[in-house]
Order: sequence, then C-alpha cells, then structure tokens
Amino acid sequence: MIQLHTVSLAYQQDASALHNINLHIGKGEFVFLTGPSGAGKTTLLRLLYGALTPNSGQVLIDGQNITRLAPSHLPLLRRSIGVVFQDFKLLHSRTVFENVAITLEVLGWGRADIGKKTMHILKQMGIESKYNLTTQRLSGGEQQRVALARALVNDPKILLADEPTGNLDDANKNQILNIFKEANIRGTTVVVATHDRRLIDQSHKRLITLSKGEIVEQVEKETARGDQNE
Amino acid sequence: MFFLTRAITNIRQNVFVNVVTVGTIMLALLIVSLFLLVFVNLESAAENWSERVQVTVYFDKELTGQEQSSLREKISAISGVSRVIYVSRDEALKRFKGRLRGQETLLEGVRSEVLPTSFEIVLKRAYRETVSVEGFVTKLKQIPGITEVQYGEEWVRRFNSFLNFMRLLGALLGGFLVIAVVFIVSNTIKLTIYSRRDELEVMSLVGATRFFITAPFLLEGLIQGLAGSILSLALLYGLYEGFLQNAGSFITFNPAASGFSFLPVEYLSGLLLAGALLGFIGSLTSLKRFINV
Repeated sequence: MIQLHTVSLAYQQDASALHNINLHIGKGEFVFLTGPSGAGKTTLLRLLYGALTPNSGQVLIDGQNITRLAPSHLPLLRRSIGVVFQDFKLLHSRTVFENVAITLEVLGWGRADIGKKTMHILKQMGIESKYNLTTQRLSGGEQQRVALARALVNDPKILLADEPTGNLDDANKNQILNIFKEANIRGTTVVVATHDRRLIDQSHKRLITLSKGEIVEQVEKETARGDQNE
Repeated sequence: MFFLTRAITNIRQNVFVNVVTVGTIMLALLIVSLFLLVFVNLESAAENWSERVQVTVYFDKELTGQEQSSLREKISAISGVSRVIYVSRDEALKRFKGRLRGQETLLEGVRSEVLPTSFEIVLKRAYRETVSVEGFVTKLKQIPGITEVQYGEEWVRRFNSFLNFMRLLGALLGGFLVIAVVFIVSNTIKLTIYSRRDELEVMSLVGATRFFITAPFLLEGLIQGLAGSILSLALLYGLYEGFLQNAGSFITFNPAASGFSFLPVEYLSGLLLAGALLGFIGSLTSLKRFINV
C-alpha cells in the first residue's frame, strides 16, 4: 500500500530531513512511527499525503508514484487518505456536522447521503449529540474525534495521524486508539506518528523508529501477545 | 448552485471579515466615484462655457432676406457649423439695452442705424479648439461679401489650454486614485483570505480540487465587490442630495440653474462592474498565494 525507495529530502541544502528511507507498509497494516522531535516523523507523513515531494527516491501510494503525479491528480489521491493532526485542524466557525461533511461534499455526494453517513460516523465516535455545536465549544478529546470522523467518514484506504494524542488525557488517548484499531479492522492501513511510549506499548503493533532522518530500528508486530490482549 | 450556497454560508459564518472587506471596497469606490462626480460636472460646465466659442461676421448694412439666406447657405456649407443666427440692427440694439440695464440713459439718442448687423456662428463641439476655429475663420473669409470677422482669439486659446490642463490633472489624479484603491482593496482581500487559510488547507487535505476550493471564495469576492459598490453609490447619492439641499446656505449656488447633475448611467454601471471585478480579481490573485494544490 505504501512504498518508499531510497527517499531523501532536505528543506535546506545542508540539513537533510530524511535520508535514504526504504520502507514498505502492506495493505491493512497498523504501524507506529516514533523517534525524538526532529527525527523526521512529520516530514515522512507529509510525503505520504503529497504535501512534500522528495529530492530523490520514489514514493508509491496504492500503486501510484506520487513523485510523478500531476498536481491536478493529487486531490484524487488524497480522497483515499485520511489525515489527523495534533492540533486537529478543525474549522472553528463551522459546526461539528459541517466539519465532517466537508469530506463528502468534496466527493460530490448528495445532501441526503451526506447527512446519513455523517451522522452515522458521529455516532460511532460518540459525539452525535454535539453535531450542531461549533467545534470551539468541544473538549480536546471531542475535537480530536471530530477530526477523526472527518478523516474516516469516506472509509479511506489509508489513515495517517501525526501525534494524534499529544494534547489528550489518558482516557481520551485510549478512546482514540480504539478508533484507530476499529478502522484498521475494517481494512484501513493506519500509520501513526507518536513519541507516546505508552500508546505504542499498549498496542503491540509494528514499530518504526526514526532518528535524524533515518530509520534506525524496526520491530515487527508482536502477533501472539498483541492479538490476545486486544 | 452548491458553490453559491457555500459562498453565502461562508459570508454568514465570517460576518466580521466580510463587513471589513465590503466596508473597504465601499469607501475606496466612494472616493473614486466622488472624484468622478466632480470631474463629470466640471466637464459639463466646460462644455457649457465652450458654447461661447462663437464666430461673429459683421456687416455695416442691413441684409435683405435674399442676401441673408444666400450667405447663411454658404456659411452652413463649411464643416463644423452648428447654428447660424442673424442679428438685425433692431435685435442688436435690444441686446445692447439689455446689457446696460439700469443705465438706459446712456443710450438716449442712439438709434439702431449706428449698430452693425451680424451673423453669429456657433461651432460644433469638435471644432471649438484653437486650430479648428482659425481654419474655420480662414474659410469663412473666402466667402464673397464677408470682410469683418471676430472670434475672441485670445479667449479661445486660454479656454482650450485650461481645458487641456484640467483633463491632464484629472487623468493623473484619477490614475493615482485607481492605483491606490486597487492596492488597498487587494491587500484587504489578501488579509481576509489569509485569516481563513486553515479552511483552504483543510479543503485541500480532504482532496478538494483547485476549482472546488476557489469557486466559493471567488463568488464571495464577487458578492463583496458588488455589495461594496452598491453601498458606495447609495452613499454617493445621499451625499449628492445632501449637497444640493444645503449648498445654498453656504455658497451662492443655485443647483437647478447650475446644471449640477449626478453620474450618468454608463458611469454608474461602470462603477458596479468595477466593484464586482475588484472583488473577484482580488480574491483570485490572493488565492493563488495560499493554495498549493
């Protein structure tokens, strides 16, 4: 589903953000990216949704080489990728419903279908009663669930999350993690960048550690123990 | 239709930003239209004054009806003639008395025979410039029987150079105003779009095409521009009416007689169009900076 071949990227000439990255993430996998601040986690995620292009190497998403993608095709690719951020990136002048419905409006869905599907995902996230509130009036955990609903409402093939639990308390962290797992069970490939050790240890999923722009360690999924605990 | 609904929802959700933008466009266009109003009225005043550019042919005898019509025909044949008026001796005396109203005693004993008769020739607008008038007079003098011609050379020259100066000044001032207005409005729009860059980012994250993202913003810009220009014209009309009603109290001015008028329809529709374009193009150029899809 996601393949990177000898990918390097530098924001400035002498400071390399990512160096010679080779990575393969299969369909339906759940992967944690970790590493200290500045290790290149966010840069790597940005490459995956086409916000950055590498200086060298190839990035393949769902069979498409996005380093060679025409700019006009990028939106089509992004429709199969959901993205969530630490700061949620919600539109605070709009209601919860509108924030989520935007994904389906872009896809050209009809009003009735948008209404049904949006309310359905809000219910899954446990925030359906707040559909008509502006997002400013929600707690941090609720805001992140709105962001997740927006990312997942069209059942994307890939879900990318950049420090999704950075601003949340433990109870909310667990809820968010469970939503990731459920999406993964439904077939979505999930990539979560985090330096939250507890989150990683609880999940027993594949772990990729970055440091100074390079992959320094890869730990495969702890199948037996992990699945029993889930 | 979807985009229009979206644009209207956006305006409702960002009332403050929209009020600021519409207000800026309104004030900017008000300045331009106020300038235009003054300029148009000065032009029409100049137009009225230029009626005074007239050529007079004098005769020291009363012309017979036949002579009059023959000369009138020859004069009218020269291009540029708008009207030809014959002033008989009696008519000349009447005008003379009119000018000396209150001092009629000065004219006691003056009989109409001492005054000359004349043809007053009013030229078409395009022929009222110095060079054209001189050319016209040369042709006029070639008609047999016409010897004495007067046309106030110095006055015509001064009047025309004043007109040219006024037009140049108007064009310069107008040009500066338009540049300033475009600069202010485009910067305001840029700031309002900057304040909503999150929206642009989210839209592009969920896979919206460039057209899908920009269309509501462009429509919004168009609506803002149109609203701003309508408001500015309404305000201008209010100012104009207010001026007409109060002018008499602080200057010796008779609005009805002065021919002071509001902007003609072409200018009004031009200003509306300019407002709409200003909003649209301002949004278009600002969006280019913030969208990287």
